[in-house]
Amino acid sequence: MISKLSLLTNKYVRGDYAQQFKQSLLEVLAMLACATILIVLVGIFAFIGVQGGRYFMPMSAYQITTVHTLSNAQDVQGKGTSVPDRSVQKEQIQYTLSHLSAAELASSLQQKLLIQYIAQTQEMPKITVSAADSLYQINTTSGQTLVGKFVSLQEGSKVSQSLANLVVLQSEVARLQQNLSDIQIQRLQSLHRAISELDNKQVARDTPLYQTTLAEFMLWQAHANNIIEQIGSYKINIRLDSGELLSLAINKVQDIYQPNQLSSWQSIGYILNKIVVFISDSPKQASTSGGVFPAIFGTLLMVIIMAIIVTPFGAIAAIYLHEYAPDNRLTTTIRICVSNMAAVPSVVYGVFGLGFFVYVLGGSIDSLLYSDKLPSPTFGAPGLLWASLTMGILTLPVVIVATQEGLSRVPSNLRSGAIALGATKYETIVKVVLPMASPGILTGVILAIARAAGEVAPLILVGAVKFAPTLPIDGEFPFVHLERQFMHLGVFIYDGAFHNQTESQVSSLMFASCMLLLLVVLLLNLSAILLRNKLRNKYERL
Amino acid sequence: MRRQIQLNTHISAKYNQELENLKHSVLTMGGVLEQQLVNTLVALKENAPSLAERVALNDSRIDSMESQVEQECMRIIAKRNPTAGDLRLVMTVSKTATDLERIGDEIARVAKLVTKDRIPASDIVLSGMMDIGNRNVAMMRATFDAFARQDDKAAVIAHKLDTQIDKVYKKIIEQTAAEIQSNPQDIAIWMDVLWAIRSFERIGDRCKNICEYVIYLTYGRDLHSSSMKKTVKKLLK
Amino acid sequence: MFKLFEREALSVEEFSKEQTSVDVRHLCVSLNAKKVLNDISIRIPKNKITALIGQSGCGKTTLLNSFNRMNEFISTHEISGEVWIDNRNIYDKRERVSRLRSQIGMVFQRPNPFPMSIYDNVSFGLRIQGEKRRRFLDDSVEKALRNAALWDEVRDRLFESALTLSGGQQQRLMIARALALEPKVLLLDEPTSALDPLTTLYIEELMVALKQQCTLIIVTHNMQQAARVSDYAAFIHKGELIEYSDSDSLFTMPNKQQTEDYITGRYG
Repeated sequence: MISKLSLLTNKYVRGDYAQQFKQSLLEVLAMLACATILIVLVGIFAFIGVQGGRYFMPMSAYQITTVHTLSNAQDVQGKGTSVPDRSVQKEQIQYTLSHLSAAELASSLQQKLLIQYIAQTQEMPKITVSAADSLYQINTTSGQTLVGKFVSLQEGSKVSQSLANLVVLQSEVARLQQNLSDIQIQRLQSLHRAISELDNKQVARDTPLYQTTLAEFMLWQAHANNIIEQIGSYKINIRLDSGELLSLAINKVQDIYQPNQLSSWQSIGYILNKIVVFISDSPKQASTSGGVFPAIFGTLLMVIIMAIIVTPFGAIAAIYLHEYAPDNRLTTTIRICVSNMAAVPSVVYGVFGLGFFVYVLGGSIDSLLYSDKLPSPTFGAPGLLWASLTMGILTLPVVIVATQEGLSRVPSNLRSGAIALGATKYETIVKVVLPMASPGILTGVILAIARAAGEVAPLILVGAVKFAPTLPIDGEFPFVHLERQFMHLGVFIYDGAFHNQTESQVSSLMFASCMLLLLVVLLLNLSAILLRNKLRNKYERL
Repeated sequence: MRRQIQLNTHISAKYNQELENLKHSVLTMGGVLEQQLVNTLVALKENAPSLAERVALNDSRIDSMESQVEQECMRIIAKRNPTAGDLRLVMTVSKTATDLERIGDEIARVAKLVTKDRIPASDIVLSGMMDIGNRNVAMMRATFDAFARQDDKAAVIAHKLDTQIDKVYKKIIEQTAAEIQSNPQDIAIWMDVLWAIRSFERIGDRCKNICEYVIYLTYGRDLHSSSMKKTVKKLLK
Repeated sequence: MFKLFEREALSVEEFSKEQTSVDVRHLCVSLNAKKVLNDISIRIPKNKITALIGQSGCGKTTLLNSFNRMNEFISTHEISGEVWIDNRNIYDKRERVSRLRSQIGMVFQRPNPFPMSIYDNVSFGLRIQGEKRRRFLDDSVEKALRNAALWDEVRDRLFESALTLSGGQQQRLMIARALALEPKVLLLDEPTSALDPLTTLYIEELMVALKQQCTLIIVTHNMQQAARVSDYAAFIHKGELIEYSDSDSLFTMPNKQQTEDYITGRYG
């Protein structure tokens, strides 16, 4: 009896154990999956963060000395005479800036050489990398970075060997430039205007008035040229790694410093300056340096215009589908179609946008309103408006589906409550249903914005370019130029990554842009989520 | 446990009023009965058949009152679902109404003695009847008073009054038996007289019942249950 | 004969035209192609509480909804017969439905306050009617809240969200919302089924008080409640009106065996 009982208990316990084991296995698997997802996410952010962050870090200057040992073995074979131990040594010096330490840089170069000289290892040059503390880094106003040894400062014919005078010279140049702009704005502009007015009035060239004005203009023009020449005479001379002496006008120098001798405060200043430049400046040197401000601006503007277009459209469509449409097969079909629209590849929308908006719509607008400018297109070419419209269509299903979701979350007894108080259907929707569905609509808009901000393929087709000389909004009438092409962060990254896969400096700029894109999308989402939660708290405590 | 029933504390004002009305209806009935008994005693004393006739006729009014009270009790039970104290009150009222109707019948029986001109010739018996009748009036007053105030102590005291009535009843029966022996030829009259005396005694018993209902209303227990004995003793102190 | 208790109940056949509030004549309703009400004729008295009782799905809510034409809002419907309120057949083609609904208040099973302030909830109906005078709205809101016995509890927080109120308060708010339009008829569809017993009693007491102002028609599953509050009661079974009489007789001496079975809990 007892043994039987113990057997039973045993069995029970064993069964229990197996059950528990199964359960814990499931738990462990689930936890593993979650952990993997978490690690992947963190990894992506960390990778992009590190790679992009490097762009803002100050670099060290190194002098790379390459010693080629050219043995004359060939000569020996050719002439039949042998001159052992006679080799020609050729030394090559190279200045470089890098985030790596000297040893790391040396080993990475070594590896490159190993691949290059895989067949003739004995001919492999010797490389020594040493920190070049005396080197100066010069960032020019056009975005170039130069590394070299400081030679002298030149002020016309006066030459000084000390860099300490630079500040004095720079202030002198600044003063001159101020003078120049004063002359240009106060004198030359008004004179030029006066002359063109006279031209317009068709005053003869030989009238005294015309003559005196022209003479005065010439005088100031000469004065200005003089100043320009003067500015050009202030120069800084540096010797580059090729041994070439470069003289650079001082007004072209943005900053000059010795990268290896930056104090930590100066480093921080450098980083901050770089960040500010990155966010507020436009790209330079074919998108290899400078900032990405036009791309941020273009992305935001495109997204805002898209949201303005897509929100009312999506909301109205969803309201009709959910509240008014008769419950029949056609409505069901439309609903399914709308849901499926979200799955259409985005490049298809891009082609549609190009074909319909740009060529058909834009073309007809041009022939109707801007026929005087033809054949050069105004709206008949890819531009901001068409990009926003295309993205609007692309994100429309997202907004519609989310709004429908929001509408179906409004309890039906609220509708009947309003109806029973004598409200018509329209009044019920406007006063009761819509405020309560607003979190749903907002969710749709958030998703739409996030999608549009990250999309690349359709934008390339309908208006985003890798470099736009002007912003879509400027001081020129009519201030907002919807027909202009614009820059977009996603396209910028795609383009940069596509064309500059090898240069580390450029790719770190791309990573920095990636980080920025992530930040922009994150910020948009976060603010919208906060707004939505606020609305939810207000409306959904039923 | 002693509980005073608070009639006017329900959320529904109408329910309050209905219960109040119900209680009042019993007291109204009681008042009418008291008047009936007093009138009967006067008729008996002064041999006033017209007064006695009115008492006998009034009995039907009491019957109708009883049925109205019963109906109201039923209505309240059906519509209000009274519970606890309210339920005891409704049940008490219903039972009291039955007892009151019986008291009315007993009084009518005595009154018929006068209308049928069968007042006992013996002064002793008549004065005995007056005595027991007056005691009945006193007991009825005490009982209705206890009921109106839901006063358990007054109810117990009123309850005790019945023992006196029983004693007087025994005495009158003995006296009547002696009278019958001396006048056996009027046996038909004496039978009615005996029934009337018996009715007086029954009135006391009915009052006693009502007192017990009052106790039941406050304590939720029968007066004769063992757990009540101590309580009764305490109340009588 | 001597009367101990005052009973004022008129028998249901005796209502004069003035005493009748809602007069239903041969009403048949089909919802989603299914017959729900079959030839209902009932006269509901003014300033009384009339209870509609019956099993779930017997059509009592449909009957209630046909007094303010809410059936049309809910589903596909087919209605024949007449419902006369105030000498107007509300199913007349010329009747404006939204105006009709504003004159007939309705309170639902679950409190359904709009996610707005208490003030906005109560004044919602009036504002829908185009009422903009601030003082008039203020007065109406106060009056409605007083009538619904809620004023003292919410006077200091009229502009807080209505969702902060408790369940019983919300239901009284719903009554106030309906009363703000000063309806002649107030329809209550199981108004206390989501509330606790004590709150239920308060709402019932409120209903009794509201008899002075309007006719109340209440649908309830709770037999006790129907017995407690109603002056008249109608028992509906499978779309037919089985018995209609004053509730004193219906709950003590029903005429029909079906009614007796239902109210005594013997229904199969």
